[in-house]
Amino acid sequence: MRRLPDVPPRGRAITVDLEGESLPAIEGEPVACSLVAAGEPMLARSIKYHRPRGPYCFAGACSHCLMRVDGVPNVYACRTPARDGMKLERQNAYPSAKVDIFESIDWFFPKGMDHHEMFAGVPVAEQVMAKVARQLAGLGLLPKTPAPVTAPARTVRTRVAVVGGGAAGLAAARVLTERDVGFLLIERDDALGGRLANGTPEAGGPSLDDIHRISPSSVLTRATALGLYDDEAGRFLAVGTWEADAPRLVKVYSERFLLTPGGHPPTLPFENNDLPGVYAGRAASLLLRRYDVAPETAALVGWGAELYALANLLQERGTKVVAVVDLRDTPPAGAHATAVRGSEPKAHGLRGVSAFSYTREGGGREKVSCDAALVSVPVSPSFELARQGGAKVPFDEKRGLFVVETDADGRTHAPDVYAAGDVTGGGTAKDAAAAGRRAAQALVGGLS
Amino acid sequence: MSKAMICSCEDVTVDDIRHAVSRGFCDVESVKRYTGFGTGICQGKSCTAAVAALLEKEKALKPAAVVPFTPRPPLYPTELRMMASVPVDESQPPVGGLPQEVDAFPAALRPEGPVPAKAKVVIIGGGIMGLALAYNLARAGETDVVVLERGYLCAGASGRNGGGVRMQWGTPSLVELAKRSIELMKGFARDLGINVWLRQGGYIFLAKTKPVAQRLERNVSLHNRFGVPTRLITPDEARDIVPGLTMKDCLIASYNPEDGVIFPWPFLWGYAQGCQKRGVRVETYTDVTGFETSGGQVRKVKTTRGDIACDTVVLAAGAWSPQVAKLADVKLPNEPHRHEILSTEPLKPFLGPLVSVLDSGLYFSQSMRGEIVGGMGDAKEPAGLNMGSTLRFVSRFAQALMEQLPEVGHVKVLRQWAGCYDVTPDNNPILGRTPGLDNLLQMSGFVGHGFMMAPAVAERMAKWMATGESDELFTRFNLRRYSDAAGHSRDFGTGTLEREDMVIG
Repeated sequence: MRRLPDVPPRGRAITVDLEGESLPAIEGEPVACSLVAAGEPMLARSIKYHRPRGPYCFAGACSHCLMRVDGVPNVYACRTPARDGMKLERQNAYPSAKVDIFESIDWFFPKGMDHHEMFAGVPVAEQVMAKVARQLAGLGLLPKTPAPVTAPARTVRTRVAVVGGGAAGLAAARVLTERDVGFLLIERDDALGGRLANGTPEAGGPSLDDIHRISPSSVLTRATALGLYDDEAGRFLAVGTWEADAPRLVKVYSERFLLTPGGHPPTLPFENNDLPGVYAGRAASLLLRRYDVAPETAALVGWGAELYALANLLQERGTKVVAVVDLRDTPPAGAHATAVRGSEPKAHGLRGVSAFSYTREGGGREKVSCDAALVSVPVSPSFELARQGGAKVPFDEKRGLFVVETDADGRTHAPDVYAAGDVTGGGTAKDAAAAGRRAAQALVGGLS
Repeated sequence: MSKAMICSCEDVTVDDIRHAVSRGFCDVESVKRYTGFGTGICQGKSCTAAVAALLEKEKALKPAAVVPFTPRPPLYPTELRMMASVPVDESQPPVGGLPQEVDAFPAALRPEGPVPAKAKVVIIGGGIMGLALAYNLARAGETDVVVLERGYLCAGASGRNGGGVRMQWGTPSLVELAKRSIELMKGFARDLGINVWLRQGGYIFLAKTKPVAQRLERNVSLHNRFGVPTRLITPDEARDIVPGLTMKDCLIASYNPEDGVIFPWPFLWGYAQGCQKRGVRVETYTDVTGFETSGGQVRKVKTTRGDIACDTVVLAAGAWSPQVAKLADVKLPNEPHRHEILSTEPLKPFLGPLVSVLDSGLYFSQSMRGEIVGGMGDAKEPAGLNMGSTLRFVSRFAQALMEQLPEVGHVKVLRQWAGCYDVTPDNNPILGRTPGLDNLLQMSGFVGHGFMMAPAVAERMAKWMATGESDELFTRFNLRRYSDAAGHSRDFGTGTLEREDMVIG
């Protein structure tokens, strides 16, 4: 990964401190982005095998980028804005992440580990193992000082709580604005837009203009829905927010919950899929579109329309795309020149990706040099809130995903919970926006 | 080393999932528990679908049986100080709880084919009580036993507790049982081939009011009489054992270095495997729907997979016991009470013992994996089967924990859940024959602490059942203690026994 040349910086140039080394960063961008752009893709060692890890999803949905930040353990570097002088430490390594003697554990267990049966009942070995395991367990050290007290939680009441400001949520917010129904749009990122702002461009997709039609007082950004709860006053969302750069909990009571949180970049199991330099496709488009950071040479693997759109986007912005491997289908007409159908992908490299290999359909094994392997597969619906609220979440065999079950108007099994967009199974941004509109219209009809 | 990770938070490989399936763990909840996938920092966001797809593709599960494990709040790791910022009205009872999961098992998970048409012993409840009893019966030669479990193994309180095991009790019987249990736990891996990670870091009880302090003082001599090395410690000594512990308002503390924590789930798997090896049937996802009784005997147990004619029935369904007993027209005085619990991000070891403030019921310990695991009882909790989670609990717990250990303010909560205590009027168990239904044996009412009693109780009960030798445990704790002189058991009194008051959580 590197910063694109000849692009004006998007913010103030600062430095952050990585274990005593001063590295360049741009103020406010995710510090994980600063680190990979500065040539430091390895941010951590994994919990059991001490495998090198670097950021993968840039969505707070994996654990590859957890670092000790200013003395606080297990902080998502992908969601922490860079600040001048910020102190960053890699965790779970001895003596250092670059030379970690516990890396040897990885070699002792080539296939995996069953800690239930290991040394079970073997005299002495069992006791020794228990002692060693306790010392090796855990990620990060307890902070040394008490945390500053958080301001008391505040309570908000609204008619409709919309979770997620992507294509579906924005379209719904526009309907609610037009109908003059009070709502609160809760967005985890620092800006609205979701994949419209951070994903691959989609021909005929919805524009971001809806953002300007929404009253800022109806929007909470940098706000994370933590759970759907209930109490004596009804159902509410617990939302973690930032107010004046301090964390604050907000209880959002609402008559209806419209859930449009999209999906998480999923894991695609293949050899060395956790090596630094393997990124989710949506992470790659985010880094490129928002922060002008991209690989020099990339291999892409996955399936679906976004895979090909990502190859085009990267190519246009100067990344050399050396392979596009579709694991499910034959590449469509007009796909990137290197696109093939293939199988058995594998990432290569010691501390980070240096090459990528795959088996070409009807052919042999191919291996290409690259500095990033990008995994672009349909996102895994963020069904958690809907399920907490009582929606049904069946398994879609064809797509291999859990989806929130809704009718055509976004109604779920729970009367006050509606869902639209990727959370119901994925599709284009255009589909998501249409579903968001329909759901908003339907739920407005039910409000007294 | 080349590996294909399916859950990178917990370093679970594709081969680990296949290995779990080969051991008989096929549904998503069980695979999660056996391999640890989805229990790390991301709570399954990136891996759940991949694991489900693998289980479906490799035919471990029918498509309709592929359901996600229950997603628990908070959805993202959340600092305790943030949770502590929510005001709590202690004068009001808790209301609600999400997600509800009391009846959440789809029919597609039910095994195919009927249950055996007859068996000598049917045990209702595949928690630690039922499984430990079945295992001990099998060891004593009685293998014509069927264990019925409504969900997966670990679905009930046995899979939802904090793993604390202690000898510090207030009544002789429980001190003795707990001591024996911990002895058996030490040999569990040798006997059953599975690690339970017993770590004897001790229990520290803190007392903040005079009556509670007197209780701790009184306990010491009781414990010492049974060879349990409990001692009173000063606040300074407590701080030596737990650096950073604040002793605000604390009058006195008691400490038994031989108490500890275990990892609960492997007990169930170990007992179940030990049963199955000896020919005992353990039937999961199978509900009891009724009983056939005549002449003061249970003749048949009816289930969603057919009827089982039997000689003896054991009711070991924990918080579900009163509900199941009702099907046989037996009224138990037990009441289910929800108790909530949470687990934090895993940290390097910093906390040796389990610490409990006896006045409030706050308890916390550090698990083998490094998480802070803890809970706190709510005196206002109404009776009822409820396994939903509340924000009120996390807030109360976070406030209480930060008062004892201020350094944890930045520590993040990963997940919260709830289980049900099986509460009796005198906080003592109900064991032995049922008045009026002679072959229905009770094995319930352990008030949220049955896990640590089970190995010893099951050992005694199997011996009692197999040999017919009398054992005072089954008369002392018989259901009759709640009846009036005329034998009427409709209006339950508090019983004739000394109340057990060392109940926490």
